[in-house]
Amino acid sequence: MTNKDIEARKLTSSIAMIVILVSFTMLFASMLLGYSVYRFTVDVWPPMGMPRIPLTIPMVSTFIIALSSATLVLFESSFEKKNLKAMRAYFGLTFLLGLGFMFVQLQLWNSMAAMGLHASGGVFPSLFYALTWTHAAHIVAGLIALLFLLPVAAKGYSVEKITWVQNVSKFWHFLGVVWLVMFIVMFVF
Amino acid sequence: MAFFEQHIHSEPKTFISKYIFSFDHKVIGKQFLWYGIIGLGLGGMMALMIRWTLAFPGEAFPVLGHLLFPSTGGVVPPDTYAMLFTMHGTIMIFYAITPILIGAFGNYLIPLQIGARDMVFPLLNMLSFWIAAASALILVASLCLPLGAAAGGWTSYPTLSTLIGSPGAGQTLWSLALFLLGVSSTMGAVNYITTVIVLRAPGMGYFDMPLSVWGLWLTAILNAIFLPVLGAGLLLLIFDRVFGTTFFLAGAAATTGTGDPILYQHVFWIFGHPEVYILILPAWGIVSDLLSFFARKPAFGAKATALSMTSITILSTLVYGHHMYTTQMSPLLTQTFMTLTMTISIPSAIFFANWLGTIWKGSIRFDTPMIFSLGVVFVFGLGGLTGLYLATVTTDLYLHDTYFVVGHFHYTMAASVLLGGYAAIYFWMPKMFGKFLNEFWGKVHFWITMIGLNGVFMGMMIVGYAGMHRRLYNPFVYEFMEKMIPINTFITYSALLMGLGQIPFVINFVYTIFFKKEKEPVPNNPWNVGTLEWTIPSPSPVYNFKEIPVVKCGPHELGNPNLPEGKDFQYQTEEIVEA
Repeated sequence: MTNKDIEARKLTSSIAMIVILVSFTMLFASMLLGYSVYRFTVDVWPPMGMPRIPLTIPMVSTFIIALSSATLVLFESSFEKKNLKAMRAYFGLTFLLGLGFMFVQLQLWNSMAAMGLHASGGVFPSLFYALTWTHAAHIVAGLIALLFLLPVAAKGYSVEKITWVQNVSKFWHFLGVVWLVMFIVMFVF
Repeated sequence: MAFFEQHIHSEPKTFISKYIFSFDHKVIGKQFLWYGIIGLGLGGMMALMIRWTLAFPGEAFPVLGHLLFPSTGGVVPPDTYAMLFTMHGTIMIFYAITPILIGAFGNYLIPLQIGARDMVFPLLNMLSFWIAAASALILVASLCLPLGAAAGGWTSYPTLSTLIGSPGAGQTLWSLALFLLGVSSTMGAVNYITTVIVLRAPGMGYFDMPLSVWGLWLTAILNAIFLPVLGAGLLLLIFDRVFGTTFFLAGAAATTGTGDPILYQHVFWIFGHPEVYILILPAWGIVSDLLSFFARKPAFGAKATALSMTSITILSTLVYGHHMYTTQMSPLLTQTFMTLTMTISIPSAIFFANWLGTIWKGSIRFDTPMIFSLGVVFVFGLGGLTGLYLATVTTDLYLHDTYFVVGHFHYTMAASVLLGGYAAIYFWMPKMFGKFLNEFWGKVHFWITMIGLNGVFMGMMIVGYAGMHRRLYNPFVYEFMEKMIPINTFITYSALLMGLGQIPFVINFVYTIFFKKEKEPVPNNPWNVGTLEWTIPSPSPVYNFKEIPVVKCGPHELGNPNLPEGKDFQYQTEEIVEA
């Protein structure tokens, strides 16, 4: 491929990826809008008789997903620098951190159940479950997307794969940002 | 403009790669066309059953009744009636109009009219069709469930749509089907938006695009932004039904911590209002082009038309509240929404005036596509004007949920979109299939449809104004509505007429595609218009353009007095002739 073709492919796929991310943003924004409506129309939050969810586990999740974004950035830069060894290391780290995030989410749901917060127990737990489920489903999709980069991690730099690396990482960073917003809106406040 | 040149496709060899899992935007367009026409038939049959029940309460539905409802002796039972109007709305909006205008003509026209060889992501395009097909399968399957399909209206408001209101699995499948369809449409939208941005032929600026492409492109943008909002609402609804969450369960949210059905209405209409423009923008675009082509004049104020469509797109996102005046909104908010809604009439009036300006003193050719387009001008005028009464809070409080609303949105969405879709089918038939539809039967089709649909929708507005409520199984149990039985009978006869009027079309369409042999091959440009798709052979080859065209003028260069004798149009690839 000529340089011009590569630039064109990069541009095309980044336009498409931006449209997709706008779509996903609207999905999560609508859910958070729903959350805010319930949050601001009650006097007592959490509603009476419901325990507040402790910050510890969500903070661990936030830390892990932030770290995974950082390792993915390092993966990208080592991809650009064609450093195969570093690429493999950072790819493995990112993927493991992604799995780790899912594991911590499972712990979160377990701990919520242990506190007596069940999905059917009123709108407060409903919101927490529904939003984290939806986000976790996207994390799973993100992990599958990361698997598509396996050939890149195995064979190293290739011109054809630049758009793949860029798009998958855009999606992964996006999920990180969504989690950060959810963390601040839902758990901290 | 044309950031890169796509390579020339090789011809697919096997039946499966050619007609079933095809990557070719033209074949996918045709698939969507068939899909939509089947949906139109199914939704239309349901409409007839609804109308029959309203005109002849307690009488068996002719022919099919005994087959479908044996337990009641052929009479449509009340719960089935609710199911019928729900499925009629859903099928018509999401499985008939959307696939015909956006799926079929979006796929078919965008690459051809901007001078590209295919969509920018052909695989995504194919997936989008097959996900839509899976979604239709789920929806149709829900009709066969023991407790029946969804019955909460096409809007599926809770609590009708929660487990309390509809305990069957039908509502869950409905939500799932629509969620899937949303995924499919979003895939399509990503493709359309990107294709228009990166694959326009060299020389083609945004204002050199035909207005059809403008309409489809703006539609795609609305789809990409607002379908996920519906997706979120549906997801929460599914969670409510499957996992027992309590988002939309009625209850005082302030005290007990349960959910709020009104939230669903907000989410639904944040999507739902843009959705009506999603449906109509392609029809507007197509009609704006066709009026110019058949009046043999440049489109009057084409740039202004494109800009008005854009401003309507933007405004459509800010007015959703006018669907909810009766939900105890703050009066301050209702007035804001009323003002914003009224603002939409400014750009609408601009391009409506542009339509009239286009046909003004044109040398109009009354071919079938043109009379269908003129039909759109007429019915959209009526639909748009009646919208003002519903946008105004004071009148809406009276008219809300009456048949006036039903008549209004059928005029704007059903009538104008249906006629626009037919105009497009008659117009692009030679390019799509290499054959002409019969002109005579096309005109018969138009007049019967036009008389029928005006009888139906005008009648609906009259009974609505008189206070007939929508969604009632037998409104005539109320004393004041008993007097409306004759006009309801009239509406039903009009609906039957309109239904029968589609038969000439179906026969014409099927006969033309499968059996008709043209005596001589269809010319490349039978209508003498200048847009890019008419520069290539009919039907268009797999690779569309052997050489990517270079665009030198706009799409409506018709009737230039400086043209040589015997020629009244220019291709977009030609320089404008100056004196």
